[in-house]
Amino acid sequence: MKTMGKDIYRYAVATRLAHWLWVLAFAVLVSTGLQIFMAAPYLDASDQSNPARRVLSIQSPSDGVGTTTVLGHTFVTTGWLGWTDDGMGGRSARAFPGWITIPAYQDLADGRRWHLFFAWALVIGWFTWLISSAIKGNLQEMVLRPRDVPKLWPMQAYYLRLRKEPPPHGTYNPLQKAAYTSVAFLLFPLVILTGLTLSPGIDASFGWLTWLFGGRQFARLWHFVAMGGLIGFCVVHTFQVATQGIVQQMRSMITGNYRLRDHEGVGP
Amino acid sequence: MNRKLFLASTMSSALVACSPIGTALNNNAEFHKLLSAPQGLDHAIIGTRGLAREYRDADVMRDFPLTGLPTPTDSSYAELLASHFAGYALIVDGAVANPQKFSLDRLAKMQRVAQITRHDCVEGWSAVGKWAGVRLRDVLAVVRPLPTARFAIFHCMDRDDQGTPYYESLDMHEAMHPQALLATSLNDAPLTADHGAPVRLKVPTQLGYKSAKWVARIEFAATFASLYGGKGGYWEDQGYEWYAGI
Repeated sequence: MKTMGKDIYRYAVATRLAHWLWVLAFAVLVSTGLQIFMAAPYLDASDQSNPARRVLSIQSPSDGVGTTTVLGHTFVTTGWLGWTDDGMGGRSARAFPGWITIPAYQDLADGRRWHLFFAWALVIGWFTWLISSAIKGNLQEMVLRPRDVPKLWPMQAYYLRLRKEPPPHGTYNPLQKAAYTSVAFLLFPLVILTGLTLSPGIDASFGWLTWLFGGRQFARLWHFVAMGGLIGFCVVHTFQVATQGIVQQMRSMITGNYRLRDHEGVGP
Repeated sequence: MNRKLFLASTMSSALVACSPIGTALNNNAEFHKLLSAPQGLDHAIIGTRGLAREYRDADVMRDFPLTGLPTPTDSSYAELLASHFAGYALIVDGAVANPQKFSLDRLAKMQRVAQITRHDCVEGWSAVGKWAGVRLRDVLAVVRPLPTARFAIFHCMDRDDQGTPYYESLDMHEAMHPQALLATSLNDAPLTADHGAPVRLKVPTQLGYKSAKWVARIEFAATFASLYGGKGGYWEDQGYEWYAGI
Protein backbone atom coordinates (compact mmCIF):
# COMPACT_ATOMS: atom_id res chain seq x y z
CA MET A 1 0.00 0.00 0.00
CA LYS A 2 1.40 3.33 -1.05
CA THR A 3 0.92 5.51 1.97
CA MET A 4 4.03 7.67 2.07
CA GLY A 5 3.53 11.32 2.90
CA LYS A 6 0.12 10.70 4.33
CA ASP A 7 -0.70 12.18 7.73
CA ILE A 8 -2.31 9.63 9.99
CA TYR A 9 -3.56 9.88 13.53
CA ARG A 10 -1.26 7.42 15.23
CA TYR A 11 -0.81 8.23 18.92
CA ALA A 12 -3.85 8.16 21.15
CA VAL A 13 -4.17 10.69 23.98
CA ALA A 14 -3.32 7.99 26.52
CA THR A 15 -0.14 7.07 24.63
CA ARG A 16 0.97 10.69 24.43
CA LEU A 17 0.16 11.47 28.05
CA ALA A 18 1.82 8.24 29.17
CA HIS A 19 4.96 9.10 27.20
CA TRP A 20 5.42 12.50 28.79
CA LEU A 21 4.53 11.08 32.19
CA TRP A 22 7.17 8.37 31.71
CA VAL A 23 9.80 10.92 30.69
CA LEU A 24 9.18 12.79 33.94
CA ALA A 25 8.65 9.78 36.21
CA PHE A 26 11.58 7.81 34.85
CA ALA A 27 14.01 10.73 35.13
CA VAL A 28 12.91 11.26 38.74
CA LEU A 29 12.93 7.55 39.59
CA VAL A 30 16.47 7.09 38.29
CA SER A 31 17.88 10.14 40.06
CA THR A 32 16.09 9.33 43.34
CA GLY A 33 16.89 5.63 42.98
CA LEU A 34 20.57 6.48 42.79
CA GLN A 35 20.06 8.71 45.84
CA ILE A 36 18.57 5.76 47.76
CA PHE A 37 21.28 3.40 46.53
CA MET A 38 23.97 5.64 48.03
CA ALA A 39 22.91 4.59 51.56
CA ALA A 40 24.10 1.03 50.84
CA PRO A 41 26.11 1.24 47.61
CA TYR A 42 26.46 -2.44 46.86
CA LEU A 43 24.46 -5.21 45.20
CA ASP A 44 24.52 -8.82 46.36
CA ALA A 45 23.18 -11.87 44.53
CA SER A 46 21.69 -13.21 47.78
CA ASP A 47 18.79 -12.91 50.22
CA GLN A 48 20.49 -11.24 53.17
CA SER A 49 23.52 -9.03 52.56
CA ASN A 50 26.57 -11.15 51.83
CA PRO A 51 29.93 -9.70 50.75
CA ALA A 52 30.89 -13.12 49.34
CA ARG A 53 28.14 -12.74 46.73
CA ARG A 54 28.76 -9.09 45.96
CA VAL A 55 28.27 -8.23 42.30
CA LEU A 56 28.88 -4.51 42.48
CA SER A 57 30.07 -2.07 45.09
CA ILE A 58 31.12 1.54 45.09
CA GLN A 59 33.37 2.79 47.86
CA SER A 60 35.91 5.33 48.95
CA PRO A 61 38.94 3.46 50.34
CA SER A 62 40.57 6.72 51.42
CA ASP A 63 39.87 10.45 51.26
CA GLY A 64 40.01 11.72 47.70
CA VAL A 65 39.74 8.27 46.11
CA GLY A 66 36.66 6.54 44.73
CA THR A 67 36.63 2.97 43.48
CA THR A 68 34.08 0.67 41.91
CA THR A 69 34.27 -3.10 42.20
CA VAL A 70 32.49 -5.25 39.63
CA LEU A 71 32.60 -9.01 40.21
CA GLY A 72 35.84 -8.72 42.19
CA HIS A 73 37.58 -6.35 39.76
CA THR A 74 38.26 -2.92 41.21
CA PHE A 75 38.52 0.21 39.11
CA VAL A 76 39.50 3.70 40.20
CA THR A 77 36.50 5.93 39.52
CA THR A 78 37.46 9.07 41.46
CA GLY A 79 35.32 12.04 40.48
CA TRP A 80 32.57 9.83 39.00
CA LEU A 81 31.79 7.10 41.52
CA GLY A 82 32.83 6.68 45.15
CA TRP A 83 34.46 10.07 45.65
CA THR A 84 32.56 12.74 43.85
CA ASP A 85 30.52 15.97 43.77
CA ASP A 86 28.53 16.13 47.04
CA GLY A 87 25.88 18.46 45.65
CA MET A 88 26.95 21.23 48.02
CA GLY A 89 29.92 22.62 46.13
CA GLY A 90 32.49 20.17 47.46
CA ARG A 91 33.52 16.59 47.04
CA SER A 92 33.07 13.71 49.45
CA ALA A 93 32.75 9.96 49.80
CA ARG A 94 29.51 9.16 48.04
CA ALA A 95 28.60 6.67 45.35
CA PHE A 96 27.09 8.96 42.71
CA PRO A 97 27.75 12.59 41.86
CA GLY A 98 25.28 15.21 43.10
CA TRP A 99 24.41 16.42 39.60
CA ILE A 100 22.67 13.11 38.92
CA THR A 101 20.71 12.67 42.19
CA ILE A 102 17.58 14.25 43.65
CA PRO A 103 18.13 15.96 45.99
CA ALA A 104 21.69 16.85 44.96
CA TYR A 105 22.95 16.48 48.56
CA GLN A 106 22.68 13.08 50.20
CA ASP A 107 19.28 12.55 51.83
CA LEU A 108 17.84 9.06 52.01
CA ALA A 109 14.49 10.10 53.53
CA ASP A 110 13.73 12.62 50.79
CA GLY A 111 15.04 10.33 48.08
CA ARG A 112 12.59 7.67 49.25
CA ARG A 113 9.73 10.14 49.43
CA TRP A 114 10.26 11.19 45.80
CA HIS A 115 10.83 7.65 44.64
CA LEU A 116 7.70 6.24 46.28
CA PHE A 117 5.61 9.09 44.85
CA PHE A 118 6.85 8.76 41.27
CA ALA A 119 6.70 4.97 41.43
CA TRP A 120 2.93 5.45 41.61
CA ALA A 121 3.07 7.76 38.59
CA LEU A 122 5.01 5.17 36.60
CA VAL A 123 2.70 2.31 37.56
CA ILE A 124 -0.49 4.27 36.91
CA GLY A 125 0.93 5.49 33.58
CA TRP A 126 1.87 1.98 32.52
CA PHE A 127 -1.49 0.52 33.53
CA THR A 128 -3.55 3.25 31.88
CA TRP A 129 -1.53 3.02 28.69
CA LEU A 130 -1.73 -0.78 28.65
CA ILE A 131 -5.50 -0.85 29.05
CA SER A 132 -6.26 2.02 26.69
CA SER A 133 -3.94 0.80 23.95
CA ALA A 134 -5.39 -2.69 24.24
CA ILE A 135 -8.86 -1.22 23.75
CA LYS A 136 -7.78 1.05 20.90
CA GLY A 137 -5.84 -1.71 19.18
CA ASN A 138 -2.36 -0.11 19.25
CA LEU A 139 -1.17 -2.84 21.54
CA GLN A 140 -2.05 -5.51 18.98
CA GLU A 141 0.01 -3.62 16.34
CA MET A 142 2.94 -3.43 18.72
CA VAL A 143 3.20 -6.90 20.20
CA LEU A 144 5.85 -9.17 18.72
CA ARG A 145 4.23 -12.25 17.20
CA PRO A 146 5.85 -15.54 16.13
CA ARG A 147 5.55 -14.53 12.47
CA ASP A 148 7.63 -11.40 13.16
CA VAL A 149 10.55 -13.41 14.46
CA PRO A 150 11.99 -14.43 11.02
CA LYS A 151 11.94 -10.72 10.07
CA LEU A 152 14.11 -9.68 13.02
CA TRP A 153 17.43 -10.38 11.33
CA PRO A 154 16.50 -8.84 7.93
CA MET A 155 15.47 -5.70 9.82
CA GLN A 156 18.76 -5.64 11.72
CA ALA A 157 20.60 -6.25 8.44
CA TYR A 158 18.84 -3.23 6.97
CA TYR A 159 19.97 -1.11 9.91
CA LEU A 160 23.51 -2.39 9.43
CA ARG A 161 23.28 -1.46 5.76
CA LEU A 162 23.72 -5.10 4.74
CA ARG A 163 20.35 -4.98 3.03
CA LYS A 164 18.82 -2.28 0.88
CA GLU A 165 15.20 -2.68 1.87
CA PRO A 166 13.65 -3.42 5.23
CA PRO A 167 11.27 -6.37 5.32
CA PRO A 168 7.67 -5.22 4.74
CA HIS A 169 5.94 -4.55 8.02
CA GLY A 170 2.94 -2.86 9.58
CA THR A 171 2.87 0.12 11.88
CA TYR A 172 5.96 -1.02 13.72
CA ASN A 173 8.96 -2.86 12.34
CA PRO A 174 9.92 -6.22 13.86
CA LEU A 175 12.79 -4.77 15.93
CA GLN A 176 10.53 -2.04 17.28
CA LYS A 177 7.99 -4.69 18.19
CA ALA A 178 10.65 -6.73 19.99
CA ALA A 179 11.87 -3.67 21.89
CA TYR A 180 8.40 -2.40 22.83
CA THR A 181 7.18 -5.85 23.80
CA SER A 182 10.16 -6.47 26.08
CA VAL A 183 9.84 -3.04 27.69
CA ALA A 184 6.09 -3.20 28.23
CA PHE A 185 5.88 -6.84 29.28
CA LEU A 186 9.29 -7.62 30.74
CA LEU A 187 11.20 -4.58 31.99
CA PHE A 188 8.20 -2.64 33.34
CA PRO A 189 6.80 -5.60 35.29
CA LEU A 190 10.31 -6.50 36.46
CA VAL A 191 11.12 -3.03 37.75
CA ILE A 192 7.71 -2.75 39.45
CA LEU A 193 7.69 -6.21 41.03
CA THR A 194 11.30 -6.06 42.24
CA GLY A 195 10.58 -2.63 43.71
CA LEU A 196 7.54 -4.00 45.54
CA THR A 197 9.58 -6.94 46.81
CA LEU A 198 11.84 -4.52 48.68
CA SER A 199 8.89 -3.52 50.87
CA PRO A 200 8.92 -5.64 54.05
CA GLY A 201 5.12 -5.44 54.16
CA ILE A 202 4.79 -6.85 50.62
CA ASP A 203 7.45 -9.43 51.47
CA ALA A 204 5.38 -10.59 54.46
CA SER A 205 2.26 -10.89 52.28
CA PHE A 206 3.83 -12.22 49.07
CA GLY A 207 6.99 -14.02 50.17
CA TRP A 208 7.02 -16.10 46.98
CA LEU A 209 7.82 -12.95 45.03
CA THR A 210 11.01 -12.48 47.03
CA TRP A 211 11.80 -16.16 46.54
CA LEU A 212 11.20 -15.81 42.79
CA PHE A 213 13.88 -13.11 42.53
CA GLY A 214 16.37 -15.10 44.60
CA GLY A 215 15.97 -13.17 47.86
CA ARG A 216 15.72 -9.58 48.97
CA GLN A 217 19.20 -8.37 48.05
CA PHE A 218 18.90 -10.22 44.76
CA ALA A 219 15.63 -8.37 44.10
CA ARG A 220 17.54 -5.15 44.71
CA LEU A 221 20.05 -6.29 42.10
CA TRP A 222 17.25 -7.13 39.62
CA HIS A 223 15.69 -3.72 40.29
CA PHE A 224 19.00 -2.18 39.26
CA VAL A 225 19.30 -4.44 36.20
CA ALA A 226 15.77 -3.50 35.11
CA MET A 227 16.69 0.17 35.51
CA GLY A 228 19.76 -0.41 33.34
CA GLY A 229 17.61 -2.09 30.69
CA LEU A 230 15.13 0.77 30.73
CA ILE A 231 17.88 3.38 30.48
CA GLY A 232 19.35 1.45 27.56
CA PHE A 233 15.95 1.37 25.88
CA CYS A 234 15.44 5.11 26.46
CA VAL A 235 18.82 5.96 24.93
CA VAL A 236 18.26 3.83 21.82
CA HIS A 237 14.61 4.90 21.52
CA THR A 238 15.46 8.60 21.76
CA PHE A 239 18.36 8.18 19.31
CA GLN A 240 16.06 6.49 16.81
CA VAL A 241 13.39 9.11 17.25
CA ALA A 242 16.08 11.71 16.60
CA THR A 243 17.32 10.04 13.41
CA GLN A 244 13.76 9.76 12.07
CA GLY A 245 13.28 13.52 12.13
CA ILE A 246 13.14 14.90 15.60
CA VAL A 247 10.69 17.73 14.84
CA GLN A 248 8.25 15.46 13.03
CA GLN A 249 8.44 12.86 15.81
CA MET A 250 8.03 15.36 18.63
CA ARG A 251 5.07 16.86 16.79
CA SER A 252 3.43 13.45 16.51
CA MET A 253 3.96 12.72 20.20
CA ILE A 254 2.29 16.02 21.06
CA THR A 255 -0.54 16.18 18.50
CA GLY A 256 -0.87 12.48 17.69
CA ASN A 257 -0.53 13.01 13.91
CA TYR A 258 2.26 11.10 12.22
CA ARG A 259 3.48 11.39 8.65
CA LEU A 260 4.07 7.95 7.15
CA ARG A 261 7.42 7.26 5.50
CA ASP A 262 8.50 4.73 2.93
CA HIS A 263 8.19 1.05 3.94
CA GLU A 264 5.76 2.00 6.65
CA GLY A 265 2.27 0.67 6.75
CA VAL A 266 -0.64 0.53 9.13
CA GLY A 267 -1.68 -2.52 11.17
CA PRO A 268 0.06 -5.31 13.07
CA MET B 1 24.94 16.39 12.01
CA ASN B 2 24.34 19.77 13.62
CA ARG B 3 20.85 18.70 14.43
CA LYS B 4 22.13 15.62 16.29
CA LEU B 5 24.61 17.74 18.17
CA PHE B 6 21.82 20.14 19.07
CA LEU B 7 19.64 17.25 20.19
CA ALA B 8 22.42 15.66 22.24
CA SER B 9 23.18 18.92 23.99
CA THR B 10 19.49 19.65 24.63
CA MET B 11 18.98 16.19 26.07
CA SER B 12 22.03 16.27 28.26
CA SER B 13 21.16 19.72 29.58
CA ALA B 14 17.63 18.47 30.32
CA LEU B 15 19.18 15.57 32.26
CA VAL B 16 21.59 17.81 34.11
CA ALA B 17 18.71 20.18 34.95
CA CYS B 18 16.82 17.37 36.74
CA SER B 19 18.91 17.45 39.88
CA PRO B 20 18.91 21.23 40.51
CA ILE B 21 15.18 21.52 39.73
CA GLY B 22 14.47 18.53 41.95
CA THR B 23 16.62 19.92 44.74
CA ALA B 24 14.84 23.27 44.57
CA LEU B 25 11.43 21.57 44.64
CA ASN B 26 12.59 19.37 47.49
CA ASN B 27 13.08 22.46 49.62
CA ASN B 28 9.56 23.71 48.89
CA ALA B 29 7.28 22.84 51.82
CA GLU B 30 4.11 22.52 49.72
CA PHE B 31 5.77 20.24 47.21
CA HIS B 32 7.23 18.18 50.04
CA LYS B 33 3.72 17.71 51.42
CA LEU B 34 2.51 16.59 48.00
CA LEU B 35 5.29 14.00 47.81
CA SER B 36 4.08 12.51 51.11
CA ALA B 37 0.53 12.16 49.79
CA PRO B 38 0.74 8.46 48.79
CA GLN B 39 1.96 7.33 52.22
CA GLY B 40 -1.55 6.78 53.59
CA LEU B 41 -2.41 4.84 50.45
CA ASP B 42 0.73 2.69 50.77
CA HIS B 43 -0.23 1.91 54.36
CA ALA B 44 -3.83 1.10 53.45
CA ILE B 45 -2.88 -1.15 50.52
CA ILE B 46 0.16 -2.96 51.91
CA GLY B 47 -0.49 -2.78 55.64
CA THR B 48 0.66 -5.56 57.92
CA ARG B 49 -1.15 -8.63 56.69
CA GLY B 50 1.17 -11.57 56.41
CA LEU B 51 3.92 -13.06 58.51
CA ALA B 52 7.56 -12.29 57.87
CA ARG B 53 9.49 -15.30 56.65
CA GLU B 54 11.13 -17.34 59.42
CA TYR B 55 14.57 -18.78 58.71
CA ARG B 56 16.68 -21.70 59.96
CA ASP B 57 19.44 -21.46 62.56
CA ALA B 58 22.04 -21.93 59.83
CA ASP B 59 20.90 -18.71 58.11
CA VAL B 60 21.71 -16.48 61.08
CA MET B 61 24.29 -13.75 60.58
CA ARG B 62 26.59 -14.31 63.55
CA ASP B 63 28.11 -10.86 63.53
CA PHE B 64 24.81 -9.00 63.44
CA PRO B 65 25.30 -5.38 62.29
CA LEU B 66 24.88 -2.58 64.81
CA THR B 67 22.05 -0.25 63.95
CA GLY B 68 20.58 3.02 65.06
CA LEU B 69 21.93 5.59 67.47
CA PRO B 70 25.08 4.97 69.53
CA THR B 71 24.84 2.86 72.67
CA PRO B 72 23.81 5.03 75.64
CA THR B 73 26.76 6.24 77.70
CA ASP B 74 24.95 8.16 80.44
CA SER B 75 25.46 7.24 84.10
CA SER B 76 22.00 5.75 84.62
CA TYR B 77 22.48 3.32 81.73
CA ALA B 78 25.98 2.53 82.97
CA GLU B 79 24.51 1.69 86.41
CA LEU B 80 21.86 -0.55 84.88
CA LEU B 81 24.49 -2.30 82.84
CA ALA B 82 26.79 -2.76 85.86
CA SER B 83 23.94 -4.31 87.86
CA HIS B 84 23.03 -6.62 84.95
CA PHE B 85 19.77 -4.70 84.72
CA ALA B 86 18.68 -5.73 88.23
CA GLY B 87 17.17 -2.26 88.64
CA TYR B 88 15.47 -2.29 85.25
CA ALA B 89 11.73 -2.44 84.87
CA LEU B 90 9.88 -1.88 81.62
CA ILE B 91 7.13 0.62 82.36
CA VAL B 92 3.89 0.02 80.47
CA ASP B 93 1.35 2.74 81.08
CA GLY B 94 -0.82 5.42 79.51
CA ALA B 95 -4.26 4.53 78.20
CA VAL B 96 -4.37 1.08 79.82
CA ALA B 97 -6.64 -0.49 82.42
CA ASN B 98 -3.77 -2.00 84.35
CA PRO B 99 -0.43 -0.11 84.21
CA GLN B 100 2.45 -2.39 85.05
CA LYS B 101 6.20 -2.65 85.44
CA PHE B 102 8.03 -5.63 84.00
CA SER B 103 11.38 -6.54 85.48
CA LEU B 104 13.60 -8.88 83.48
CA ASP B 105 12.67 -11.66 85.93
CA ARG B 106 9.01 -11.08 85.31
CA LEU B 107 9.51 -11.05 81.53
CA ALA B 108 11.51 -14.27 81.83
CA LYS B 109 8.52 -15.97 83.52
CA MET B 110 6.20 -15.12 80.64
CA GLN B 111 5.85 -17.32 77.58
CA ARG B 112 9.09 -17.11 75.66
CA VAL B 113 9.15 -17.21 71.86
CA ALA B 114 11.98 -17.16 69.37
CA GLN B 115 11.93 -16.00 65.76
CA ILE B 116 14.63 -16.12 63.11
CA THR B 117 13.74 -13.25 60.85
CA ARG B 118 15.39 -10.87 58.44
CA HIS B 119 16.11 -7.32 59.50
CA ASP B 120 15.72 -5.00 56.50
CA CYS B 121 17.38 -1.66 57.08
CA VAL B 122 15.99 1.43 55.36
CA GLU B 123 19.51 1.89 53.96
CA GLY B 124 19.01 -1.22 51.86
CA TRP B 125 20.94 -4.03 53.54
CA SER B 126 19.45 -7.12 55.21
CA ALA B 127 20.63 -9.42 58.01
CA VAL B 128 19.03 -12.51 59.53
CA GLY B 129 19.02 -12.73 63.32
CA LYS B 130 17.51 -15.02 65.92
CA TRP B 131 15.49 -13.01 68.38
CA ALA B 132 13.93 -14.39 71.56
CA GLY B 133 11.72 -12.72 74.12
CA VAL B 134 8.09 -12.02 74.87
CA ARG B 135 5.36 -11.26 72.38
CA LEU B 136 4.22 -7.68 72.60
CA ARG B 137 0.60 -8.90 72.50
CA ASP B 138 1.20 -10.91 75.69
CA VAL B 139 2.21 -7.70 77.46
CA LEU B 140 -0.88 -6.01 76.00
CA ALA B 141 -3.01 -8.80 77.45
CA VAL B 142 -1.70 -7.97 80.93
CA VAL B 143 -2.05 -4.18 80.79
CA ARG B 144 -5.30 -4.17 78.76
CA PRO B 145 -5.19 -1.02 76.60
CA LEU B 146 -8.32 1.12 76.79
CA PRO B 147 -10.47 1.69 73.69
CA THR B 148 -8.97 5.19 73.46
CA ALA B 149 -5.49 3.73 72.92
CA ARG B 150 -4.58 3.88 69.23
CA PHE B 151 -0.82 3.70 69.43
CA ALA B 152 1.87 1.97 71.46
CA ILE B 153 4.72 4.46 71.86
CA PHE B 154 8.15 3.11 72.71
CA HIS B 155 10.34 5.44 74.75
CA CYS B 156 13.99 4.50 74.57
CA MET B 157 17.19 5.18 76.50
CA ASP B 158 19.34 6.16 73.52
CA ARG B 159 19.79 9.79 72.51
CA ASP B 160 21.39 11.46 69.51
CA ASP B 161 24.22 14.00 69.81
CA GLN B 162 21.64 16.78 70.25
CA GLY B 163 20.20 14.98 73.27
CA THR B 164 16.98 14.01 71.45
CA PRO B 165 15.75 10.63 72.66
CA TYR B 166 14.84 7.77 70.35
CA TYR B 167 11.22 6.73 70.24
CA GLU B 168 8.95 4.75 67.96
CA SER B 169 5.29 3.90 67.65
CA LEU B 170 3.05 1.13 66.33
CA ASP B 171 -0.68 1.18 65.83
CA MET B 172 -2.72 -1.38 67.78
CA HIS B 173 -3.01 -3.72 64.80
CA GLU B 174 0.77 -3.80 64.42
CA ALA B 175 1.28 -4.11 68.17
CA MET B 176 -0.95 -7.21 68.18
CA HIS B 177 0.97 -8.83 65.31
CA PRO B 178 2.20 -12.28 66.41
CA GLN B 179 5.77 -11.46 65.35
CA ALA B 180 6.00 -8.12 67.18
CA LEU B 181 8.48 -9.11 69.84
CA LEU B 182 10.04 -7.58 72.93
CA ALA B 183 13.40 -9.25 72.45
CA THR B 184 15.83 -9.92 75.26
CA SER B 185 18.20 -12.13 73.33
CA LEU B 186 19.94 -12.16 69.95
CA ASN B 187 21.47 -15.26 68.38
CA ASP B 188 21.01 -17.36 71.56
CA ALA B 189 22.81 -14.89 73.83
CA PRO B 190 21.35 -12.19 76.06
CA LEU B 191 21.21 -8.85 74.24
CA THR B 192 24.47 -6.98 74.60
CA ALA B 193 24.51 -3.28 75.40
CA ASP B 194 25.29 -2.49 71.74
CA HIS B 195 22.31 -4.47 70.52
CA GLY B 196 19.80 -2.70 72.77
CA ALA B 197 19.97 -4.43 76.15
CA PRO B 198 18.00 -5.21 78.14
CA VAL B 199 14.88 -5.07 75.90
CA ARG B 200 14.45 -4.09 72.29
CA LEU B 201 11.49 -4.20 69.98
CA LYS B 202 11.61 -6.44 66.93
CA VAL B 203 9.09 -5.84 64.15
CA PRO B 204 10.16 -7.97 61.17
CA THR B 205 7.27 -6.80 58.97
CA GLN B 206 8.64 -3.25 58.85
CA LEU B 207 11.95 -1.56 58.15
CA GLY B 208 14.62 -1.74 60.84
CA TYR B 209 14.06 1.69 62.37
CA LYS B 210 10.72 0.48 63.82
CA SER B 211 12.63 -2.07 65.90
CA ALA B 212 13.56 0.37 68.67
CA LYS B 213 16.46 -0.58 70.94
CA TRP B 214 16.93 0.11 74.67
CA VAL B 215 13.18 0.31 75.37
CA ALA B 216 12.42 1.86 78.79
CA ARG B 217 8.71 2.50 78.57
CA ILE B 218 5.71 1.65 76.44
CA GLU B 219 3.03 4.28 76.54
CA PHE B 220 -0.42 3.74 75.09
CA ALA B 221 -2.05 6.87 73.75
CA ALA B 222 -4.66 8.19 71.35
CA THR B 223 -2.08 10.23 69.46
CA PHE B 224 1.64 10.93 69.24
CA ALA B 225 1.20 14.39 67.74
CA SER B 226 2.43 16.22 70.86
CA LEU B 227 5.58 14.10 71.26
CA TYR B 228 8.92 15.49 70.04
CA GLY B 229 8.58 16.22 66.30
CA GLY B 230 5.03 14.87 66.28
CA LYS B 231 5.61 12.27 63.55
CA GLY B 232 5.58 9.21 65.81
CA GLY B 233 9.25 8.28 65.82
CA TYR B 234 12.81 9.53 65.89
CA TRP B 235 13.45 8.82 62.20
CA GLU B 236 9.91 9.80 61.25
CA ASP B 237 10.70 13.23 62.71
CA GLN B 238 13.66 13.34 60.28
CA GLY B 239 11.41 12.72 57.29
CA TYR B 240 11.13 8.92 57.12
CA GLU B 241 7.71 7.31 56.66
CA TRP B 242 5.74 6.43 59.78
CA TYR B 243 4.47 3.32 57.98
CA ALA B 244 7.76 1.51 57.53
CA GLY B 245 6.33 -1.52 55.74
CA ILE B 246 7.58 -0.03 52.48
